[in-house]
Amino acid sequence: MEGTEVLEKKQQNSPGDDIRTTNYNILGKIFHGAGIYAVAALFLVAGIILQALGVINNFLTAQNMLNIVDAVSMLGIVAVGMAFVTYSGHYADMSVPTTMALTGIIAVQMLQYGFFPAIAAAVAAGLLIGLINAVAIGKFKANPIIWTLAVNYVTLGVIRLVWVNKQIYPDMIAKSQWASDVFDNIYRFRFFNKIGLPVVYMIILVILLNFIMKKTKFGQQLKITGAARKASEFSGVNVERVIGLSFVICALTATLGGLTVTSLSRVGAYYNGAGYDFKAVTAIVIGGMTLAGGRGSIIGVLGGVLIIGLMNNIMTLLGVGTFSQDMIRGIIFIVVVGINAKSLRTLGRDDA
Amino acid sequence: MNSNDIGIALSMQGVSKRFPGTLAVDNVDFDVRAGEVHALIGENGAGKSTLMKIIAGSFNDYTGKIFIGSRETELHSPVHSKKNGIEMIYQELSLALPLSISENVLVGRLPKKGIFLDKEKIYKETKRCLKMVGMEHLDPDIEIEEISQHESQLVEIGKALGNNPCILVMDEPTSALSREEVERLFEIIRSLKKRGLAIIYISHHLPEIFEIADRVTVMRDGKKIDTRDIGSVTSEELVQMMVGQTVKDFYHHESHAQSEQRLRVENLSRYGFFHNVSFEAYKGEVLGICGLSGAGRSELARVLVGLDDRNGGRVFLDDKEIKPKNMAHALKEGIAYLTENRKTEGLALRLNVKENILAGIIPELVYRGVYHEADGFPKMNELIDELSIYPPDPERIVGNLSGGNQQKVLLAKWMACDPKVLILDEPTRGVDIGAKMTIHESIEQLAKNGSTIILISSDLPELVSLSNRVLIMRQGHLIHEMEHSGCSEESVLLAANGEGIC
Repeated sequence: MEGTEVLEKKQQNSPGDDIRTTNYNILGKIFHGAGIYAVAALFLVAGIILQALGVINNFLTAQNMLNIVDAVSMLGIVAVGMAFVTYSGHYADMSVPTTMALTGIIAVQMLQYGFFPAIAAAVAAGLLIGLINAVAIGKFKANPIIWTLAVNYVTLGVIRLVWVNKQIYPDMIAKSQWASDVFDNIYRFRFFNKIGLPVVYMIILVILLNFIMKKTKFGQQLKITGAARKASEFSGVNVERVIGLSFVICALTATLGGLTVTSLSRVGAYYNGAGYDFKAVTAIVIGGMTLAGGRGSIIGVLGGVLIIGLMNNIMTLLGVGTFSQDMIRGIIFIVVVGINAKSLRTLGRDDA
Repeated sequence: MNSNDIGIALSMQGVSKRFPGTLAVDNVDFDVRAGEVHALIGENGAGKSTLMKIIAGSFNDYTGKIFIGSRETELHSPVHSKKNGIEMIYQELSLALPLSISENVLVGRLPKKGIFLDKEKIYKETKRCLKMVGMEHLDPDIEIEEISQHESQLVEIGKALGNNPCILVMDEPTSALSREEVERLFEIIRSLKKRGLAIIYISHHLPEIFEIADRVTVMRDGKKIDTRDIGSVTSEELVQMMVGQTVKDFYHHESHAQSEQRLRVENLSRYGFFHNVSFEAYKGEVLGICGLSGAGRSELARVLVGLDDRNGGRVFLDDKEIKPKNMAHALKEGIAYLTENRKTEGLALRLNVKENILAGIIPELVYRGVYHEADGFPKMNELIDELSIYPPDPERIVGNLSGGNQQKVLLAKWMACDPKVLILDEPTRGVDIGAKMTIHESIEQLAKNGSTIILISSDLPELVSLSNRVLIMRQGHLIHEMEHSGCSEESVLLAANGEGIC
């Protein structure tokens, strides 16, 4: 509806029958729900127009569309897990980049004992980081950003100390050809020679995590905890466990992301996963999840991931350089958070 | 009463302030003379604090006239009020804990030398302010965190005096102070009086008012009831004026108490808050707990539901000893607690009515690991109807409801849990009369269905009319028990003030 009336909200604590209608304005609607896919469609249309104008080539082809999804699948894996942290009202998990690097490098190192021990060791390492975050932030109420940032640096230090700046290669460490090949295929396996395995991981995670967030006791309690921690605690929710679990989920998806990135680059190194923290938060926020917690969905975050994919693809086809792309993504993040905060304030919830 | 010959420092004529739905201050005349302490009393929601906020310049849309001395002024912003020599001392401390005493005392007027701060002058000026409240032994450079609460209370008064006010407003300044500290504060107030300051003193404690005030004004339901010289009034009369008789007709009470014991508390203590509290409550009973703020009522409730640790004593529910570790555990045992602070501890304001009402029974709605929200809808709709939550829309964001309807949602959350014992802490604070009546009906209905209600309330008509028995708490001790037949608002309030009991 054009010109929807948004009523100003003040004097919340005065008694009376001042009932306001909860009308969303248009921007509000876009950022509250699956309306994010309308934005994705807009980017698609923009790409098609650019192609029709002859500015870019090969945008609307099946292969390019697959490339887009393929390119953001790893970001998707990490973002849908980190979304639980945001949903719980704890903004973001900044320890994701080195969690990815550590689990990847451990997997490569352990390949000498076979494929499954390698995966088990990586998952154990990821779980450990998740549990450390869970206890510090869930139980001891550490500041989530500062704490996870510190964990990120400590983990980085551990990697550089243990592996002394070395990069290690799966095919050199693995004793059996099979283990090395399977590890290689974590990223490279293609269904019908087209659909990559990471895309499948992402789709499975989206379905699974969406179910957990919307359809389980944990998900429902997480929502209330994210929206109002105290009230949740007073309603009999074990908030420490609920918040902790969200960090564990985030660490586990980061582990899968780390294994995939390492398989892709065929090298275990401390820099695997760099930049995924900010990219994931951007996708989460574009996907309509507010940083204040308790609002948004995994489906929305997937939309945010796809928008980033489309944007990157169009920019690359236009010949925009990597650094300029980073800058543009940063600006878009700022704009989206700003619009989101404003639309919440107009609705009388100045808490974004 | 030597103040009649001295001029009026501040007077208000026909002042009103309207909030949506209520007239919080209704055509009030009020004045305070230089060199007197004018006490302002009334029950919660009587309009005292709104009146004081008008004086502090918090509202720019009040109606009526305000005179400072003989000059008419408009107090439309805190800056206007400060310029007119009005200083406020609030109930909650407004000092910044991590800053030093001098930075707090001289906030907004730190002396400078060029572009640098003038350390020497800061030190001297702070000392001067502290001296006025007898705290000159404090080092101006230490942080507020390092001094005790009563010292910070006095520092705050010193800060206000440093601005050379003519009118000082004190809102419950003694609520955090011990008896000796109160004496000290009174000495300071007396010396300020001698220096010609006009002091408006808000308090619940009647004995204090008789000790320090020259005149007293009673407010009720936004209206001024009367202003009297302190020598010509008794505490019975004041209580009578505060309570009034008008609201009484709303209440009717039927007893649903059964003979079966539900809850037994033996010698429960939490050091520093309450000591050796013992009582029992029966099925279908509404047990009132009355006491002034700081008497230990809410602290008792928090221990009962396991939010705080206890230092001793035992609690039995249906003859089985319980030791709740946290709220989840207490709920499982069948005790629920509606907190007095609905905005921070009660409701998730950003979520909707549905999510809030179902928040306490999420585990009950889970089958085979899947949360079936829709299974809770019949109960939820029933509660929305019963409490007539308006609008009756489960998708409505709770933060956008009126105060009364928010409170109903909070009550609905606990009613959905169907607890054996429901502790209600100020269940009708700040709600309009219609919502209040609905909530009262629901409380009676709960009792009729066999729940035990523990009602903590400062609203005396409510407490007296709903309760089968009323327990009186004072300074952490259970000092008295009154049967419904034997208690009236007057007797309860007198008892809570430590009067009228042998």
